[in-house]
Amino acid sequence: MTRRLLYGIPLMLGVTLVSFMLMVYFGPDQTYELLGKNPTAQQITEVRHSLGYDRSFVVRYVGYLKEVVTLNFGLSASSGESVTDILKRTLPVSLALILPGFVLGNLLGLGFGMLTAWYRGGWLDKWVMTASVVGMSVSFLVIIIVLQVLLCTPYGLNMFPVRGWQVHDIGSWLYYVSVPTLALVLVTLGYNTRFYRAVMVEEIERDHIRTARIYGASPFSIMFRHVLKNSLVPILTRVMYSIPFVVVSGSLLLESYFGIPGVGLVTFNAITSGDQPVLKAVVSLTGILFVLVMLVTDIFYKWVDPRMLRS
Amino acid sequence: MHKLFLLIFIMACLLLGACGKGDDVAQAPLKTYRHSMDHAPGSLDPAQTSSIYANFIVVNLYDTLYRYKYLARPYQLEPNLATTLPVVSDDGLRLTIAIRKGVYFIDDPAFEGGKGREIKAADFVYSIKRHFDPETRAQGAWLWQGRIEGLDDWQTQGSDYDQQISGLRAIDDYNIEITLTRPFPQLVHTFTQGYSAIVPREAVEEYGQGLGNHPVGSGPFKFSSRNSSHAIMAKNEDFRKVPFDLEHEGYNAATQGNLGLESLQGRYPPFIDQLVIEFISEGAARWNSFSAGEVQFIKVPVVNFENVLSSVSPITLRPELADRYHFDATPEAGFIYTNINMADETIGYNEDEDRNQRNHALRCAIVKAFDWKKNNDVFFHGIGQVFPGIIPPFSSEFQADANQDYIERDVEGARELLQQNGWNSENLPKITYGITNTVTEKQVFEQLRSFLTEIGYPPEKISPLIFASFGDYYRAYSQGKVTLINTSWTMDYPDAENTMQLFYGPNASPGANSSSFNSPEYNRLYEATSGMAESPERTRIYRQMNQIVMDECPSITGITRTMLFLWDKNVHMLPDRSFLGGYFMRFVDMTAGDVTTQ
Repeated sequence: MTRRLLYGIPLMLGVTLVSFMLMVYFGPDQTYELLGKNPTAQQITEVRHSLGYDRSFVVRYVGYLKEVVTLNFGLSASSGESVTDILKRTLPVSLALILPGFVLGNLLGLGFGMLTAWYRGGWLDKWVMTASVVGMSVSFLVIIIVLQVLLCTPYGLNMFPVRGWQVHDIGSWLYYVSVPTLALVLVTLGYNTRFYRAVMVEEIERDHIRTARIYGASPFSIMFRHVLKNSLVPILTRVMYSIPFVVVSGSLLLESYFGIPGVGLVTFNAITSGDQPVLKAVVSLTGILFVLVMLVTDIFYKWVDPRMLRS
Repeated sequence: MHKLFLLIFIMACLLLGACGKGDDVAQAPLKTYRHSMDHAPGSLDPAQTSSIYANFIVVNLYDTLYRYKYLARPYQLEPNLATTLPVVSDDGLRLTIAIRKGVYFIDDPAFEGGKGREIKAADFVYSIKRHFDPETRAQGAWLWQGRIEGLDDWQTQGSDYDQQISGLRAIDDYNIEITLTRPFPQLVHTFTQGYSAIVPREAVEEYGQGLGNHPVGSGPFKFSSRNSSHAIMAKNEDFRKVPFDLEHEGYNAATQGNLGLESLQGRYPPFIDQLVIEFISEGAARWNSFSAGEVQFIKVPVVNFENVLSSVSPITLRPELADRYHFDATPEAGFIYTNINMADETIGYNEDEDRNQRNHALRCAIVKAFDWKKNNDVFFHGIGQVFPGIIPPFSSEFQADANQDYIERDVEGARELLQQNGWNSENLPKITYGITNTVTEKQVFEQLRSFLTEIGYPPEKISPLIFASFGDYYRAYSQGKVTLINTSWTMDYPDAENTMQLFYGPNASPGANSSSFNSPEYNRLYEATSGMAESPERTRIYRQMNQIVMDECPSITGITRTMLFLWDKNVHMLPDRSFLGGYFMRFVDMTAGDVTTQ
């Protein structure tokens, strides 16, 4: 564990260096966003100075590392709000928004993957695979807008809100999260089904599965006790490594179109406006999240496949 | 297998923990008005309200000395925190402004004992000084730069707030005296803007840059909360009691008689308990949200114009919508235009007189190639107002019967001009066209390229320069890296002086004159009119300046967008997004049927 953590340090340094160069050093310049009309050269210099743009690369990068270590990213250059407060406020919202769709999308994908793998080549397999391709081909944006019209407006069922996030309890949460969840499930289900099917098909063709079939084991027993169990490593890899993306950027379109104040929307606004304190915080946290995910995934690997512990 | 279920259980726990955090909106029955805006504002510090979105909110949270009358069109100045319009000396250089007594900032921990104190004249002086303090990172200094005696020197001397300024001082607690370096008739207009809103020094010192997220003002509303999708404000119960006077606000029964405003007479604004402003940049989501009744006002996205209008001339709402909503079609206070970089010697000014002449012909050929009708039809549903030059329809100096040659497409004329001046596909210079990274702007570029191709410009010589943000784009064209600068101007006050300065030489990039146009005659006339208030003589000169711009062809200009507003029938208001802007919020009222219980 300690060794893994130590491995994480150079990884974090690499991530912060690359992200600092791309997003901060060579990223959007906020000077001109902050200037008034008819600025003088002196005003331009003053704003650049106040943003720290006139400092050397090394000084700025070291300052950035210090912020990462202390987790103090200062105030948002756009709104003046503490970046820590922004993240505290938005991360739980994004999690509450994304997790149901993420979990459901994966569980349904897993279910369809198992079904289609078992009935490989049959009509069910063909229908599900065709539907998956269709699902993968439709733009997320189109899905969102169509669902909004069908479920949230008087032109359709008008059962759910188009926008907003006034969540106080499970009931209100379900009210606001249902349509975004449905959109997320629809857009991810095709990818998930195809991936899980491929994993299952590979496992189902192994000798021990054929042996189990010959011995007359039930399909349920074969799929859940042998195929699924032995496929957990690639499944875990896919699920776990999706988490940083899901938390930070996966919710961007949903948050934007459903007016949900999560971290994806904050990140998007920070990118377009060049709000570097927010960008630095998000990029760093994504990096940290990746390292943590790597560590946890490693533990899970050993848990689901004890051979890895021995190796 | 139990391990898989354990994993699922862990995720479910995370989820339940997360959904405990919610956005807390008021629980009690409230008269809540929900307004939609097409962008989110940045900081709510008055010193940083450069966007119309931030300005819209700031004037509801803070007080300014002046505002515009709610219903009068053309716009008329109206005292807000001031008691009357300024008393101006005969030479136009000294203004005295009295402010209301007994107006208090809202309660806030920044004040001693947490109790809001009375606003004094010194607070206004302090608020203007902040724009000249580099620490503030303010955006409004340009309004007063070089105009108020001693203010620029105060900055160069170190921005010490305890140091007096000769031209900006509080005579006593309720009187302000301003001394100008030269007459500036538009000064009072600048005191209607969010930039000039009055902030207490205690709050600035307490919150610093955080003031942008912790407003402490004396406006009709108090800040409750804000996130990336909305802002919530509550009625300021202690807002000064000034009864609403329909006639005084410029009511016109013929055009405004159906808005339900009569019931406001004699009552004390603000009339609603809670103001929620939703930031919805996606047009489809904004329209769906409005259709579902989640917001009560919408600036209709252009893509929805077709579904909303039954005719464009005259602009008429579809009957089924007219039954449900109030409707207003109003020109935007500003215009869209494409500047040609005059500092680029391949197309702008050139020291070689012959090349200079040829460049002039090239620019005019480009102007002739532009098809405003197609541009209007494709991007503005044909209801934008195309006009020649730089005096938009919003200004009183606008000349409706002006010669339209400058905006008439003339492909043959353009080709001829190129040919006569020795231009051909081989020697035409490469052109870059600056845009931010949106689909619409890319389409605008492609349309322009097709127009230029028709006059013989090789398409491979016209390329887009795409920028991730407006800031990056602004930097690039300010540094002369863009040939054709696709831009727009939103007027700061209802006076054409605000657009005439767009082509004044000393305002060249990075200033507002992004074409870096520099005509000695234009500059001379601009300076000659700088102290003049609106008058027939000034109008005559402005039109002469407009002609100079058109003769020199530094810009493909222009079009004023027409905005369509829809709002619920039971919301009684006349919305505005121009100079009155957010000031109308204090006058919004709703009938009982619209009171929302949350």
